[in-house]
Amino acid sequence: MQQNNNKNPSISLHNTHVKLLAFDLLTLTPPSSPDQPFTRKSIPITRLETLGTITLRDHKPSKFLRFSIDDGTGCIPCILWLNHLTSPHIARRRSPQDVCLLADAAARSAEVVKVGAVARVRGRVTVFKGSVQVTVTDVVGERDPNAEVLHWVDCVNLARNCYNLVTLSS
Amino acid sequence: MASLEVKSGALVSLQDLRPSSPFFKQGTSLRIIGKLHEYSFETGLATVIDGNDILKVNTEHLRDLSFQVGSVYQFIGELLIQHDNEGVLQARVGRNVDGIDLNLYHQSLLLLRQFQANHLNNSAN
Repeated sequence: MQQNNNKNPSISLHNTHVKLLAFDLLTLTPPSSPDQPFTRKSIPITRLETLGTITLRDHKPSKFLRFSIDDGTGCIPCILWLNHLTSPHIARRRSPQDVCLLADAAARSAEVVKVGAVARVRGRVTVFKGSVQVTVTDVVGERDPNAEVLHWVDCVNLARNCYNLVTLSS
Repeated sequence: MASLEVKSGALVSLQDLRPSSPFFKQGTSLRIIGKLHEYSFETGLATVIDGNDILKVNTEHLRDLSFQVGSVYQFIGELLIQHDNEGVLQARVGRNVDGIDLNLYHQSLLLLRQFQANHLNNSAN
């Protein structure tokens, strides 16, 4: 988060992995055009961190892994791309070494995604068929039985004491 | 890509599942937590308790989960209300949560509900 040192500090959530509960994420205001971000109380939200139970998994090897995270307030649709080694789009933008690293990281994340597992997921907030989804950058398995509860408390705290107080950066 | 459709399991305590509760409806998706009181390997039927409240859970779809009486489990599934008005949760997801702080869980649940209600009220206004 960036904070200005002027009288009315404005905080930008741009590129911050915002911790939102599913019901909050699913009620973000959709962008007016595909290249614009979703907004929460007029504040752009581009990245998200969520934690919950994986309740659905749809795997297309070497293409993608779609899954759903249930945090108790809603289900967040997530997509983890697994097409790094075959995508001409990625090949044009990244070096071969980078592509291999990205492919390895995605494969490791995919191994964590199992129905019934609890995972912490980070990614970009994107749109699919007009609805919000998370394009996943990393997935970490959580073994602490209190992890979900602590995530709820974190989300409530951050919403009340940070995200709800954010004003638009100039 | 086919769309992924699954209902979220509403967070409830076992005491929220009395017949007068708004959650006590056929097919409602729920997430519950409780201590395993009984388990039948033959039928896959588990009984979980939380204080004085009790719920039967059908675990036949949970092949990878091992059950130990006295351990704490969390289940997500749909409520099936039988002819005798007894609710049985048809679990689709379950896990052992031994070590969970149940006091923190119940307090956080209240906090979460309050936050969610406030947020939705503010959004509506």
